[in-house]
Amino acid sequence: MKKGVIIFALFLLWVLLVAAVIALPPMGSSETPAYTHVVPRYLEKEVEEGGANNIVTGIILNYRGYDTMGEVTVIFTALICVLAVLGRENIKRHTSKVELSSVEKSVIVKSVVRLLAPFIILFALYIILHGAESPGGGFQGGAILGASVIVFTLTFGFTLGMKKFPLKYRTILESAGPLSFFISGVVALFCGLNFLTYMLPCINHAYQDLVRHLLLLIIEIGIGIGGGTVIGSIFFAMEKVEKE
Amino acid sequence: MLRSLDILLLIFLLVTAIGVVRTKDLLGASIIFSAYSLIMAIVWQQLSAPDLALTEAAVGAGVTTVLFLIAIGRTVRREDE
Amino acid sequence: MSPAEILNKLTVNFNYVVAMTLFIIGLYTIISKPNLIKKFMGLNIMETSVFLFVVSSGAVMGGKAPIVGEGVSPGTVFVNPIPQALILTGIVVAMSTTALALALIIKLYEQCGTLNADKLKEIK
Repeated sequence: MKKGVIIFALFLLWVLLVAAVIALPPMGSSETPAYTHVVPRYLEKEVEEGGANNIVTGIILNYRGYDTMGEVTVIFTALICVLAVLGRENIKRHTSKVELSSVEKSVIVKSVVRLLAPFIILFALYIILHGAESPGGGFQGGAILGASVIVFTLTFGFTLGMKKFPLKYRTILESAGPLSFFISGVVALFCGLNFLTYMLPCINHAYQDLVRHLLLLIIEIGIGIGGGTVIGSIFFAMEKVEKE
Repeated sequence: MLRSLDILLLIFLLVTAIGVVRTKDLLGASIIFSAYSLIMAIVWQQLSAPDLALTEAAVGAGVTTVLFLIAIGRTVRREDE
Repeated sequence: MSPAEILNKLTVNFNYVVAMTLFIIGLYTIISKPNLIKKFMGLNIMETSVFLFVVSSGAVMGGKAPIVGEGVSPGTVFVNPIPQALILTGIVVAMSTTALALALIIKLYEQCGTLNADKLKEIK
């Protein structure tokens, strides 16, 4: 009875939403309002103004720089909240359920991960550093970096994972995201410009482009390393169980 | 025709979403959720969004699924408990 | 509009229809399933459905990924990069909120011993 009412109400909502879809402009047309107002300017001027061949990266770091700074802070805050709820892991006190279980891990999984782990990390670094030229950037590379930490720890055990990614380094690297925005943003203040301006007219003209690339690279690396470490630390905090 | 591939992928997306909802075993549901995320990554690639495809493949299919698995491992596996 | 036109529109806008359906599926999971982890799977489906809707609205038929540089001829049509930039951060934030929710769920289970929302209501 209750379920029937829910399904009926949701069906009505679905009909309403699909009726709204009929009124929307056809998908894939280049004459929709969303495509004709701001986008042409971004597509034409981004390389000149933002300094990245990948327009998505340019928009994230340049036109929507403050927004991205907020997002990075949200991710960092999520980690702080997870740690506040579950607590940090400790190499002496904690282990994981996977490590405690008596099931032998397959040789195939172990050898494949041992073989692939360096390449996964290399790929993540490539994606972080090449974010301005090809698909990729800090968020993408950071996610892959975090996934590589997880896959390593799940395969080779929690204790070895904690040894390879020690707490004292992770504590510092977790804050790399917001910190890199701070470092790159503050530079512009010395030129009398707004926070997070990358094009600095107060330095020698020949070096302007180089400095802009450097500032963007600092942010990309910060988001990448910070995001990857945050994912790894969330994983460690959730996976740990008390030793007997 | 690439559009027919799109439509096929979107139908798969619906099927996997219903699979997530209807599976009573949470472990199975999270593995189907991982498949859902992978299909979503291919849909992003079809929509010419390679950045999103990279992120979704790593975050959706990898990290989120692992977090769900950890949560299931530390709590209950059956849905009705 | 005639039924044929409506059908044609729904085929062209099939991505939107799927996004709406996924939204409803996710909402149904959140409302009707008592298990908290299942509810969060539904929430994740809802999130991805919104992402699908926003990115689809920026798609252009035959559009290339928005990457310029060498090897790209000047007249190339690109897809809309703004939705992609919005959703890129959205995916990572969705992951971190899920992580926080699951951490709370683990703690809740340690305290109460159940994840059933109906049973949790009765615990005083």
